[in-house]
Amino acid sequence: MVYDEKVMKKLEGKAKIMRRDAIEMIKAGESGWLGGSFSQADIVAALMFHHMKHDPRNPQWENRDRLIVSKAHCCETVYAALGEAGYFPKKEYQSYGHFGALLQAHTERKAPGIEYSGGSLGEGLSFAMGEALAARIGASKDASGRPVPRFRVFCIVGDGESNEGQVWEAVMAASHYKVDNLVAIVDHNKFQSGGTVEERINLMPLAEKWRAFGWDTTEIDGHDFKQILDALEKADKVKGKPHAIVAHTIKCKGVPSFEHKNLHFCKLSDEMYAEAVKALK
Amino acid sequence: MKRKYVMEPLGEMKAMYQAYNEAMVELVKTNEKIVLLYGDFPRGAAGEFLQKEHPDRIYDVGIAEANLITTASGMAGAGKIPFTHCHSIFAVGRAYNQIRQNVAFDKLNVKIVLCNSGMLWTFMGGSHQIIEEIAALRVIPNLVLVSPADPVETKKMTRALTEYVGPVAIRLSNPPVPTIFKDAYPFELGKAVTVTDGEDATIISTGVMLADSLGAAEALAKQGINIRLLNMHTIKPIDEKAIINAAKETGAIVTVEDSSIIGGLGGAVAEVIAENQPVPLKRIGIKDQFGQSGTVEELKVAYELTAKDIAKAVKEVIKRKK
Repeated sequence: MVYDEKVMKKLEGKAKIMRRDAIEMIKAGESGWLGGSFSQADIVAALMFHHMKHDPRNPQWENRDRLIVSKAHCCETVYAALGEAGYFPKKEYQSYGHFGALLQAHTERKAPGIEYSGGSLGEGLSFAMGEALAARIGASKDASGRPVPRFRVFCIVGDGESNEGQVWEAVMAASHYKVDNLVAIVDHNKFQSGGTVEERINLMPLAEKWRAFGWDTTEIDGHDFKQILDALEKADKVKGKPHAIVAHTIKCKGVPSFEHKNLHFCKLSDEMYAEAVKALK
Repeated sequence: MKRKYVMEPLGEMKAMYQAYNEAMVELVKTNEKIVLLYGDFPRGAAGEFLQKEHPDRIYDVGIAEANLITTASGMAGAGKIPFTHCHSIFAVGRAYNQIRQNVAFDKLNVKIVLCNSGMLWTFMGGSHQIIEEIAALRVIPNLVLVSPADPVETKKMTRALTEYVGPVAIRLSNPPVPTIFKDAYPFELGKAVTVTDGEDATIISTGVMLADSLGAAEALAKQGINIRLLNMHTIKPIDEKAIINAAKETGAIVTVEDSSIIGGLGGAVAEVIAENQPVPLKRIGIKDQFGQSGTVEELKVAYELTAKDIAKAVKEVIKRKK
């Protein structure tokens, strides 16, 4: 699909703001999950600032699309997107990870716009499936008798997180129930806490696994907005199956000197902070 | 002996899951928010009804308890009232983190039906008899834990926990149990019920053990020992006032459960009286052991859960009174 250049520019701008604000949070919180937060940032930007229907003035709007970030430690770019969208004032960033903060070190539903309290990996896709099934209950039917869900659910799953068996329980069940208003986006940044995904528990071939479980599966460059939006559009069109988007991403994407490094849970030295701020100008 | 709300003689034998289904089949007709979720578990009358009439409100996710509990939490997040059904040993044992993190943490409106709860799952043996559930669940913040004693209470409880907004786990024992209560029996979440009153000692019973506790109270009454029998149907939040009053007014307590006394009802009552009104206490329940196959009677004898064991414990605590 051909997208208006303005849309592309807008998303690039939003993603840059999100990464910059995330750096401020990690600095203020004195720790954070830079690598995974940055690898998913373009996907979150495409969802929040283009693809999803949601209303920052009415976070509990019943028919809003939902974003479930299953790898909930990667919260900084999600908070940054919500702050940028107007769900809460950006001054909240300064208390990130501190006592009494709205923005906890793992996403919690008490923050406006956050749909899922994570922290225990492998569980978010089940939660997302529950939401997606709920969207079909009592829904009207299309000409072929399929329910027309009231909303869509997008779930960002980590590749390292996919070590957890519950991910695959949800993958089986969503396929069984043909939950076609559910889109799983795998942030395939090739790293997990302790090293590369390949050297921990090799997931390859990853896209083939989702396909074999019955999901409509697309493989994309997770930093190419055109490819992200195309894959999301396709997910809307293919009926009768849940959708997986295996997004090849780069850990720490956005700060060239950090990229491909496993800055999983890290502190920012003054030099690193200066480097990041310069790169994200 | 004056007994409140109790049928004389005791009524029809019925499994708690059947009683639960009899209540639920009516509830699903009037409350469209209710969704029934199963982990490869028999559906019962309510599930059969929904499958026929509203198939979009019933899902079985297979032998996958973790996915079962978290799927329910997602549904609750979207405003539904999901009830999950699977064996208690696997809900608590295999999906503990999901109950904690996905259900209780955000106070989501999920109702976890702990099927075949406790020691009295006769044939299945030690791998399936859960002794840990009360201890394991009552330390989770926000989670209400209830344990009905008979079919009438099971039905009233099912209706009450549908009305209650928040996470609840309900223990349903496997074997058919006698109907103890008359329909007039008042059920209020969190409020212990005085089944018999007396001044010599208190028996605090939860769940399926109430009939045996009542048997013990009756036997003791014939010997001139008057027992206050409390049905502690809500284990959390526990009715501290009823426990403290019992300690003050009767001076000795015996707790009765088909679960481990370590951290179980016995542990919960011990905590309350130790801090408020220390009195002699004896805990009837499973004593740091796993289960085994056997009939209800064989298991009760083997694990010292009979009316006779309860009565003996009562005499012991009365002796220890100052």
